[in-house]
Amino acid sequence: MLTCKQVSSALAQGDYKNLPPLRRFFLKMHVKLCPFCGKFNTQLMESQDMVREFREKEEKLTGERPAMGEEQKEKLKKILAEQTGS
Amino acid sequence: MTNNPTEPKVPITPPDKWVDLYGDYLYGFAMSRLRDPELASDCVQDTFLAGIKALDRFDGSRDIKFWLRGIMRNKIVDQIRKSVKENKVDIEAEDEAILESFWFKYSGIATTNPDPWEFNPRKHFDNGEFWIVFQKCIDQVKDPARQAFVLRVLEDQSTEDVCKVMDITPNYLWVLLHRARAQLKTLLEQNWTQIDNK
Repeated sequence: MLTCKQVSSALAQGDYKNLPPLRRFFLKMHVKLCPFCGKFNTQLMESQDMVREFREKEEKLTGERPAMGEEQKEKLKKILAEQTGS
Repeated sequence: MTNNPTEPKVPITPPDKWVDLYGDYLYGFAMSRLRDPELASDCVQDTFLAGIKALDRFDGSRDIKFWLRGIMRNKIVDQIRKSVKENKVDIEAEDEAILESFWFKYSGIATTNPDPWEFNPRKHFDNGEFWIVFQKCIDQVKDPARQAFVLRVLEDQSTEDVCKVMDITPNYLWVLLHRARAQLKTLLEQNWTQIDNK
């Protein structure tokens, strides 16, 4: 049987999908039965789901982000031109 | 030969147009991860230079924009490593209070009774505005926790890699991530309920 500590660290690392099947089974069982790990897992899943969604939607958000200054762009173009020329 | 297998599926944009086409996109990304204009522009520059060097290895299977974004992932990690080395990021000694607490020692859980969300975040996943707030909240997370969160969660590095980059133990990374998640939740509850109630 797994201890809470082992369970929570496996959950927090998010690599439970790579665990061997038997271990994963015990992990699932523990989370279902243990009120502490269950609660911890729920909160963790919420936060992980949210980040996963964010990463998918992120590409569309670029309009909301700070843009590069024109001066900076010119400088960067010069550096790139030097690199490609040589 | 018309069916040249090595011919890229998407046209390669010449590097002299990169700044105009992808500069803002990459800069925005770098800013969202590094929060520092100077570091972000360094990061964009490094990405472009690395891109030029590796251009012959570009296989053309996806848009060059995403290919450059992939290079940038590594550059962001490098920049964070650099700022950690130069001690710009204040990594305090281990957070004794959490690590020494009874619950953490015996169960690995910092607090057994986290407050439930004030609103159900899943309901807002389709709302574009929510993600803008979300992004702003990530920016406000306090420093070492934010870097850990960016590396581990947003840039999807493995636990070992993050520990190496930030020079911390896995236990402390756990504490940092826990703190980042808790802060993010509080910030989201503050900022989003304000907007949502309007």
